[in-house]
Amino acid sequence: MHYKVIARFTAILLIFLGISMAAPLLVSVIYRDGSTFPVLWSLTVTTLFGLMLFICSWGKNSTQMNHRDGVAIVTLGWVMAALFGTLPYLLSGSIPDFTNAYFESVSGFTTTGASILNDIERLPEGILFWRSQTQWLGGMGIIVLSIAILPYLGVGGMQLYKAEIPSPVVDKLKPRISETAKSLWKVYVLITVLEILLLKFGGMSVFDSICHSFCTLPTGGFSTKNASMAQFNNQYYDWVVILFMLAAGINFSLHYRLLKGDFRKFGRDAELKVFFVIVALFVLVITFDIYGPVYDSLGKAFRYAAFQVSSIITTTGFVTADYDVWPSFSKFILLMCMFLGAMAGSTGGGIKTMRVMLLLKHGFREIFRIVHPHAVTPVKLGGKAVPQDVMSSIWGFFILYMGLFIAAAIIMAALGLDLVSAISSVAASIGNIGPGLGIVGPVKNYQSIPFIGKWVLLFCMLLGRLEIYTVIVLMTPEYWRK
Amino acid sequence: MKIIIVGAGEVGFHIAQRLSEENQDVVLIDKDPQKIRRINDHLDVQAFLGSGTSPNVLKDSGIKEADMLVAATDSDEVNLIACLLARHLNHYMIKVARIRNWEYLAEKDLFDKELLGVDHIINPQSEMVDLVLDLMEVPGASEVINFADGRVKLIGFNICKDSPFAGSDLLSLKELEEKPLIGAIVREGQVIIPSGEDTIQTDDLVYVVVRSDGLDQVTKIFCPHEETLRRVIIIGAGQTGSALAAALDKTRINAKIIDKDTDNCSKLAETLERVVVIEGDGTDKELLQEENIQGTDFLVVVTGDEESNILISLLGKGLGVKRTITRVSKLSYIPFLSTIGIDTVLSPRLSAIRAILQYIRKGKVISVAPLKGEYAEAIEAEALETSDIVNIPLHKVKFPKGAILGAIVRGDEIIIPKGDSIVRPNDRLIIFAARKVLPRLEKLLTVKLEYF
Repeated sequence: MHYKVIARFTAILLIFLGISMAAPLLVSVIYRDGSTFPVLWSLTVTTLFGLMLFICSWGKNSTQMNHRDGVAIVTLGWVMAALFGTLPYLLSGSIPDFTNAYFESVSGFTTTGASILNDIERLPEGILFWRSQTQWLGGMGIIVLSIAILPYLGVGGMQLYKAEIPSPVVDKLKPRISETAKSLWKVYVLITVLEILLLKFGGMSVFDSICHSFCTLPTGGFSTKNASMAQFNNQYYDWVVILFMLAAGINFSLHYRLLKGDFRKFGRDAELKVFFVIVALFVLVITFDIYGPVYDSLGKAFRYAAFQVSSIITTTGFVTADYDVWPSFSKFILLMCMFLGAMAGSTGGGIKTMRVMLLLKHGFREIFRIVHPHAVTPVKLGGKAVPQDVMSSIWGFFILYMGLFIAAAIIMAALGLDLVSAISSVAASIGNIGPGLGIVGPVKNYQSIPFIGKWVLLFCMLLGRLEIYTVIVLMTPEYWRK
Repeated sequence: MKIIIVGAGEVGFHIAQRLSEENQDVVLIDKDPQKIRRINDHLDVQAFLGSGTSPNVLKDSGIKEADMLVAATDSDEVNLIACLLARHLNHYMIKVARIRNWEYLAEKDLFDKELLGVDHIINPQSEMVDLVLDLMEVPGASEVINFADGRVKLIGFNICKDSPFAGSDLLSLKELEEKPLIGAIVREGQVIIPSGEDTIQTDDLVYVVVRSDGLDQVTKIFCPHEETLRRVIIIGAGQTGSALAAALDKTRINAKIIDKDTDNCSKLAETLERVVVIEGDGTDKELLQEENIQGTDFLVVVTGDEESNILISLLGKGLGVKRTITRVSKLSYIPFLSTIGIDTVLSPRLSAIRAILQYIRKGKVISVAPLKGEYAEAIEAEALETSDIVNIPLHKVKFPKGAILGAIVRGDEIIIPKGDSIVRPNDRLIIFAARKVLPRLEKLLTVKLEYF
């Protein structure tokens, strides 16, 4: 463990975060919403704290780090970023209670989108913007952003990258990790700008287009409206947001290749095909399930089904309909979407399409082997055999994911939540979706969850965002043993 | 610059490490998943699983935009085919191949522009033989690096207890008639690029820049007790050992070569005139004593087994050999060897790395030598007319801290620079630099952008 390196990197992260608060500051100045000084204070405190930590951790060889340090930096970085991210909420009095503010902040950075706010529209514009901005920063990853900005981290950067984006298969776009991080961020910014423009030309206000785009691309789901996207009730907005939610659910290295003109790789990606087949299937099934009992026109049923399925499977969490009143078949499919999640390498959460695909293939292979005990049948993905250690890592992930889900759901049930609420609140947190079912349903929020429950859920969000291993390894005694 | 390296063995791995640390875009190709994993864990480079002889893998790795291909696998055949494919896929890229088989090397046409188009061949064996011969030329030196076609030499001396310089600072050296310039000091595995106040201590390895005609005097200063070389024993008659024996056969040095293998020995005995071939085990103490090891000046241990090499060298030292040269491939061993009493290490991999790096360097760099511990390099470069270094007094040149100019070679003249010396265009410069300042040094030496 190199404590100085860890402290140093956290310090740099906080300085970045502090500087990024200039954006909400600008917004609050433009709108004269009364949050200017609280945001200015947050900016100053965060930056100064970062600077102090930076000076204290001054020393030579500051970028030498091993895998252990990487894990610690990433986890600590996220915890600290969310901690300082509460300052605007607390200082402006928007969310006076620390637990609630931290819940909102973690939910923001982990791109969950679960809120404890009863009346979102009451908040000053600066704070609303900060809320959306935390999601946007958290989406592609604050650490990946630092890797892109910091001049040279070398191998250290690779360690951090792997700890923040623990995709089952490492896909380096460029020879150097900082270049890879830069390319990913460029794609991310580009698509965000595109969505802002499309929403703006559809007639949405500049502020709302920016805030909603900032929450679509990271598959976050914070809205500036109490009723989320439903408040606009605009078909054009819905379809634009559906398009971009699905785009955010696609592996960003595929977007990068597409922009580079490599259509072949995009078209042949096995995971992408499966992802779209699942989405199409679920949309169709739900459309026919809700056509009749809930909506009288097929077009409406299709639009709401498409929005809800895209929103939940990509783990965004925008809502245009109260799916809690849908038939239980549709609700169950949506619950399954919470576990499935988007593609590996996207900004979405959940178990991820690739893992589910490989797990199923592995399962079928075992059946095949009962018939042909001596057959050589590696699990294949896109024509290439998946190494055994990758498979076992995926199994480990799956078991831990489900195990932690069950443990947290039991705690929630013990705290007095009903069965559906307990299950869905944990599923929606660990999968970084946001709205669940029951008392945390699409038209409700997390305000009513008990104190301990909120901490359990925000821990789940962090676990989900950093894909379990990075966080959980810090809690093993083995990690701390010298 | 984008560089594709085929083969992630020790040579490929180290070259990749060095280049990625210098901010080059490196792509490594290897067919061993374990090696690819190790690379992903330790290096900031792009790693591709697959064979370097597969056109598809090469295309995936982006050979079309690459500037250079380094074929550094252990197999000559793979290296040759990788170069052939590279030539086919990207006609203009620079190709460097590591080739060991003498038969291939003898076919000079094979590497010509018409056929394979290999720009540079690395043959660690022949480089090792040259190194041993250089070392034998300078008694007392633990390392000899040639610059300016051998007219300037960089010599590494171990400072022993009775050396007249132990404890004195570098300024006091200036009062000597020869004014030897110390370019780098290696102390406890760390390389120091010295300034005037630094002192020389016992057990340091100092690198001295000398003109080849002043060699004898400098050697006398640093190693007053060394005599000229008379007796050499080589253990191991592999490719290196045989080549070395053949080279010594033409000199007046009294040499013996020992090998276990009967066939090897009889074949070798046919070709050699003066060198005595002895069949026997190099670890056999009686045999070594029988062959008068106690009075031998040089023991060169080059068998195929590196752990045995280390032990044989120690045994030889114990039996009274003056100096040993030991072949050790594994790079992780090298930093510790001097502490257990091994004088000079001969590493085919280090030789290969050295040779490849030399070729890769930007600008008009003529040769490069990584110094012990690999934290510093000695660079020989041509001063370009457009470089910031020429035509102004040296004390005004913004030399990066951690780099010093060791010598200026102008035609036949060799100048040991002072503050008011001026570098002229087309001078050759010998510079010592810590690795971390290399990019800045490179910038100083290469053409300024506004020139175009």
